[in-house]
Amino acid sequence: MSIELYEPAPERLNPKFVEISNLVKSYPNPYGEDFRVVEDFNLNIRQGEFISLIGHSGCGKSTVLTMLAGLNEISEGGIIVGDREIDGPGPDRAVVFQAPCLMPWLSAYGNVMLGVKSVYPHASKAEQKQIVEHSLSVVGLADAMKKLPKELSGGMQQRVGIARAIALQPKVLLLDEPFGRLDSLTRMELQDVIIDILARENLTAMIVTHDVDEAVFMADRCVMMSNGPKAGVGEIMEIDFARPRNREVVFNDPKFFEYREHLLAFLEQRSHIKGDTRTHNRENLIGYMNKAELIDLEQKLSVA
Amino acid sequence: MADSPKDKLKYSILKVIDVSGFKVFDPPVRLIFGEEPQKQIRDIAKYMLLPILFIGVCILAWDIIGPNHKTKSGEVPNPAKVLVAYSDARRFDQREDEKNHAFEVTGSERKSEVKRVESKLAQLEKEQANLQKKSSEIAQAAQKSLDTQLAPIQEKYAALKAKNESAEEVREAEMEALAEKIALKEAQPEKLIALLKQATVAEEKEKEAESILKDQMDLIRDNPPEEVKEAQLVTNKVADEVQHHKKLLAILTKENKSVKEASLLAKAKEDAEQLAAATTGKEVLKEAKSIVKNTERAESTSEQSYPRTATIFWQTRRSLATVFVGFIIAAGVAIPLGIMCGLNRIFMACMTPLISIFRPVSPVVWLLIFQIIVGAFFLPDPASHPLFVFMNDSLNPFSSLQTNPAMIFSACTVAMCALWPALVNTALGVSAIDKDHLNVAKVLKLGFWSRLFKIVIPSSLPLVFAGLRISLGVGWMVLIAAEALSSSDGLGKFVWDEYQNGSSQSFANIILACFVVGIIGFFLDRLMIILQRLVSFDDGSATA
Repeated sequence: MSIELYEPAPERLNPKFVEISNLVKSYPNPYGEDFRVVEDFNLNIRQGEFISLIGHSGCGKSTVLTMLAGLNEISEGGIIVGDREIDGPGPDRAVVFQAPCLMPWLSAYGNVMLGVKSVYPHASKAEQKQIVEHSLSVVGLADAMKKLPKELSGGMQQRVGIARAIALQPKVLLLDEPFGRLDSLTRMELQDVIIDILARENLTAMIVTHDVDEAVFMADRCVMMSNGPKAGVGEIMEIDFARPRNREVVFNDPKFFEYREHLLAFLEQRSHIKGDTRTHNRENLIGYMNKAELIDLEQKLSVA
Repeated sequence: MADSPKDKLKYSILKVIDVSGFKVFDPPVRLIFGEEPQKQIRDIAKYMLLPILFIGVCILAWDIIGPNHKTKSGEVPNPAKVLVAYSDARRFDQREDEKNHAFEVTGSERKSEVKRVESKLAQLEKEQANLQKKSSEIAQAAQKSLDTQLAPIQEKYAALKAKNESAEEVREAEMEALAEKIALKEAQPEKLIALLKQATVAEEKEKEAESILKDQMDLIRDNPPEEVKEAQLVTNKVADEVQHHKKLLAILTKENKSVKEASLLAKAKEDAEQLAAATTGKEVLKEAKSIVKNTERAESTSEQSYPRTATIFWQTRRSLATVFVGFIIAAGVAIPLGIMCGLNRIFMACMTPLISIFRPVSPVVWLLIFQIIVGAFFLPDPASHPLFVFMNDSLNPFSSLQTNPAMIFSACTVAMCALWPALVNTALGVSAIDKDHLNVAKVLKLGFWSRLFKIVIPSSLPLVFAGLRISLGVGWMVLIAAEALSSSDGLGKFVWDEYQNGSSQSFANIILACFVVGIIGFFLDRLMIILQRLVSFDDGSATA
């Protein structure tokens, strides 16, 4: 774990590496009306930033993530990753699913190789092998490469899923409740694995989660979604802990409890309200922006 | 878990048992390795002994009830008779092997074989003579006792018959007299008619009394004492052996391949000598023709093989070959079609009407259609068609099976009927593929072919094999019917021939064939279960 890797020169950071604008997901019903699950979802993600998406179940968190992954059709609005608007799924946006989704007839190695072969078809066999072995050892499975999924525990299976995602060397890593089915001890281990990887590879990432602790501990910004239907960004909370994060340090920090309380209060408050619950005050508008944008805005204001 | 080598052995045996689906043998293996003996013994009693007992009861019921039902082809054979039929079939097969050997054997081996058979024959003939003498003695003795038994009844019968005849004469005379009177208008015709009616009734009664006695005599005659039957049986058996050895000797000395060839070549040599001695052109031409003919025949003899008579074992092998040919055709068509159906809804929509219409068609109809269509490919002379020449001459497992068009269209019928379960299951397996796996494929940007071969096919394999298992079962059932109907050699034809020729053992042979078909069907099913479990990544726990 090296700190230098994590802190790239700020000017190289693209403040709008991922740009989600006016995103809508609607399902037409047979009577010609639209059922809008997500409406006007706006979010910019800085390069190398870790976003956690939290909200009540069924509010459309996963819908946003799968649209970003390209697995779910975008009804209106658009998503730009890097400089290109996304159109369908691609290896630049790797996904770790809630279930490990491993091919049961392939070994851990084979599962990772499946993606590597398709994304780097022109790489030599040795290079492909190296990529696979590297990603498996990064997640701590160097000794279990030849094992079949049924011989691995749930946590180990999910590690293979993570290895498969990072082996694609994506620009964005999307985590769809990746630890939802694991016990809390394994969950913590894997959280550390992810944080470790992100620090090394300087990946941009988004995690969808139910777990308030996880959302606070892992992310740089926590996006709280309003309740569906017509869900959107309810509030955005900056989380200011040093990277790389140390579990003990973070959990003992009084700020952690503030963040946590805030999140819980948000969720508590929204649990009774249906429909569009966004509050369009100035604070929240600022919340839509990330740090770089905010500095930009403040500079402009001070000049004026 | 498995620490010591003994434990390892135990668990590997248990695994084999589990994969092959013979769960019944699980407790005995555990018992041998001394694991919880009491529980294992309980399990053995519950799941092995009780079923065996039940089967025993069934066989007993068959043994008791069967012979009570008299049919046109004799009584229903009991288990013992079916066993006899089986051992007869074994002996028949063995003899065919011996004959085949006698046909092929050459040189000094042939000579020693001739000697062996001759000495055996002499011994057997002596035994036969002895037995015949003994059995005729027994028969005479039995005849005597039979005569003494029959004599009183015969006497009674003769007396009764004489009495009845005289009574009838009296009645005739009476009626004639009355008829005369009526002619002279001295009596009423109604009287005569009444008298005639009475006479008929009386005659019937008399006949009945006679037939009762006759039946009694027949019963005694038809049931000769057991020892006579036994002696006859033993004598017949030896006579059978004698017959077989005579035939063997004939094959060894006359029909044997090398003997025939040598004699033909000798003839050719003789012809050559005569040709040298010939004086007229006509004679020379005749001898030259003869030389050519004999050498040609000698050559063809060396290529001949013994024309075996079809035994039930050979028929079984042929049926198995046919069902596998049909099954492979079915799998070859059904799996690609099924995959296409599962992948593409439009293709599925196009196929659905075909599947729904052709699936319920009876195998018999398919057989007739294929008989016409497939038969046409091998016209005008099926025997010289390149396919059969190739299969019968050089394709190893088929060379002994005498492949012919009947086999091909039986196989096609099997394929046509076995197609559907595999097709439907494959389509289901492909379309029911886990959505998550498809999502993974999307994220990994897998191309069509690698998605097909790396994800779609592997994940649908268990269902594909489940379909193939049903297909093979259907195919085996259809095949027997198709063979019976099309006279294609195989178990079906065996059953049909037995039904038609109606010898004393036919019924037992048919029941024997029923067991053979059933047991082979069972093993084919097991085979498919094992394959299915081997391709299942979830340990096959979903299949029973």
